[in-house]
Amino acid sequence: MSSAIGIISANMNSSVLQGLAQERPIAAVPFGGRYRLLDFALSSMVNSGIRTVGLVTPQQYRPMLDHLGAGKDWSLDRKSGGLFILPGAIHSLGHYDIRFSLKDIALNIEFLEKDCARNVIISSSDHVFNADFRPIIDHHDQVEADVTLVYNQSDRPFEREDLIYLRGKEDGRITGLGKNCEMSGPDTPCKYFIDLFIIRRELLLQMIEGYRSVENIELIEIIAQHLGELKVHGYFFGGYVGRIHSVSDYFQSNLALLREEIRKDLFINTQPIRTKIRDNPPAKYGKKAQVKNSLISSGCTIEGTVENTILSRGIVIEEGCEIQNCIIMSKCVIGKGSKLQNVILDKFVAVNEGNVLQGQVNQPLVISKKAII
Amino acid sequence: MRKKECIAMLLAGGQGSRLGSLTRNIAKPAVSFAGKYRIIDFSLSNCTHSNIDTVGVLTQYKPFVLNSYIGKGSAWDLNCLNGGVHILPPFLGENQGSWYKGTANAIYQNIDFINFYNPEYILILSGDHIYQMDYYDMLTFHKQAQAEVTLSTIAVPWEEASRFGVMTTDESGRISEFAEKPVHPQSNLASMGVYIFNWEVLKEALWEDEADVNSEKDFGKNVIPRLLQQGKRIYSYLFHGYWRDVGTIESYYNANMEVLREEKIDKFFELKQRIFSNEEILAPHYIGAEAKIQDSLIGNGCTILGEVHHSIISAGVYVGEGSFIEDSILLPNAEVHKNVRLWKTILGENATVQDDCCIGVEGEDEPAQEGITVIGDHLQIPRGAVIGEGKNVTKDDVRKEGGQ
Repeated sequence: MSSAIGIISANMNSSVLQGLAQERPIAAVPFGGRYRLLDFALSSMVNSGIRTVGLVTPQQYRPMLDHLGAGKDWSLDRKSGGLFILPGAIHSLGHYDIRFSLKDIALNIEFLEKDCARNVIISSSDHVFNADFRPIIDHHDQVEADVTLVYNQSDRPFEREDLIYLRGKEDGRITGLGKNCEMSGPDTPCKYFIDLFIIRRELLLQMIEGYRSVENIELIEIIAQHLGELKVHGYFFGGYVGRIHSVSDYFQSNLALLREEIRKDLFINTQPIRTKIRDNPPAKYGKKAQVKNSLISSGCTIEGTVENTILSRGIVIEEGCEIQNCIIMSKCVIGKGSKLQNVILDKFVAVNEGNVLQGQVNQPLVISKKAII
Repeated sequence: MRKKECIAMLLAGGQGSRLGSLTRNIAKPAVSFAGKYRIIDFSLSNCTHSNIDTVGVLTQYKPFVLNSYIGKGSAWDLNCLNGGVHILPPFLGENQGSWYKGTANAIYQNIDFINFYNPEYILILSGDHIYQMDYYDMLTFHKQAQAEVTLSTIAVPWEEASRFGVMTTDESGRISEFAEKPVHPQSNLASMGVYIFNWEVLKEALWEDEADVNSEKDFGKNVIPRLLQQGKRIYSYLFHGYWRDVGTIESYYNANMEVLREEKIDKFFELKQRIFSNEEILAPHYIGAEAKIQDSLIGNGCTILGEVHHSIISAGVYVGEGSFIEDSILLPNAEVHKNVRLWKTILGENATVQDDCCIGVEGEDEPAQEGITVIGDHLQIPRGAVIGEGKNVTKDDVRKEGGQ
């Protein structure tokens, strides 16, 4: 594999997740019991042998840095390379939809200049996946691409407002990018970009130079404008990708972890997703616990009934509780006899005895951090 | 090298043969405990919380798992400048060097290492007890009493006193008598295997002990009795907290089950004295739609599809559909396939029990080791096997069964 450095873009509009990302960037939103969203992209990079990772941060980055520390839990506390914090630009409202801002990278140009890696692999921080980037980078070099866009595909039309669709030739060369699912052409599976791409480092530097005068521009847009001159290839990923672009996405992607095939793809048959280690004790089940089809993290104490639910670390479920279809973040306490259905509880929520909280499957109820109910 | 006030030497070389098949492939301090920890976590975490940043770990018996687990000590925040964890296996010199012949000899052979840090005091620990203790308090006591040696002691039930090294003290705590496993104990103050020495005193004592051809080179049997005879100022530091010896199958099993029964596990996680461990990063555990789990501890990365009652399930364990587990301890990465019954069984690390086995079945005779069945690590119990209670199953047993 040729050398590559990574950039994870965490400076993106977080309003889509409403309360969950009010006080934290999307990248730092807890997910899947013990993780935060950025763990997936970051671990994939580290597991793929990438030893230098730059993280473009938004303004409220305290929760993110609290989680990452010096990068020790990802073995990124290194003498050469390691984890670099790249302070992102402050975007105005008009640039809300930008995902990969050239300005964010231009502000941190030294990060690119002082390394001599051939390629830069750039990922978003709001996708749940466990990928090995090595074959993708190898392929990128083999076909001598300038840019490789990684996509997944669906046989049925797959319409989402927030996706970019690709049209490609048989040799893998990308000829069109668009917001429309029919973009991929008739009789071919619909190809959608998973916000993950590889670009030659020198080319990225040239782009920064060339667009110096432009206030702010989306990197993918630049690539789309130059499909003719640049050698842009597509790479079919094929593994599970959970895209977190709404509260409903967040809810469904969490519950998707209860499916065996997805757990296998993310956690079991693969390299580990790394995260901050807290050394919690094992989860403790009481004499009256009834737990079914759920994902339970360490440090929990369960005395009640829990079904189709994801519990983060250190949660207390008291006697007589009935918890169904819920995502509960760390250190929540659910008092005796409470009933919760289709609810997302942010961290440190206390639900008093005998409360009933009910959301809808397609519209879960979100309770924000430290609330007492 | 800047002089250190106190460094620790952790004796982790023993085989722990009384743990039977649990220590067939790994040293006793590396044996898993309470679903999450390894026994050595307790001593190492205590060091960190006591501001002792330099620890020599003396290894000898099957050290691989232990060495790789300890690494550079970062899991316990012991990867510091000017100190840290040092693994000290036996080594050869120009005209000497050999296997460690006893606890005292192990320290003797590493005098150069200790001199390198040139400490005022030296803390000797054994890596095979479960306890939370602030060694700094003990050191303060040692200094205040102007002791030359301080032994940490704990009051044990009188009927058990003869299993330990017991000591008689005067009012100030100075030890007047020390008896290793006496038949008629004069006291119920037992040694916890935690000692603080003035390094100069210990160095001299180790030379003397080394020169004595009749000595077994053991702290409890030789070094401390000799120092007492010489009239050295030896004090007892009475410890009141939680301390468990897990040297036998029975005591290991009971200490684990005690964690389940009482709130000990919360104590292990108390911020001030939290027990650190070097865990593998695993996903939260998954409980299946037909599973039933009560009165149990379940670690990360497990998949539980069957029933678990009053048991400890360590990280990465798989329990298949229709299986029933009661009063058992499953060590990391053990696998239980479908329709298996396990009663009062310790299932070793990475051991596999295939479909339809029954383990821990009641027999007619009075079972050995309180009826606890132990399956050694990495063993494969073939489909449909029936194993009676109180058995210690090793590799040889499985091979024999297969040959029949």
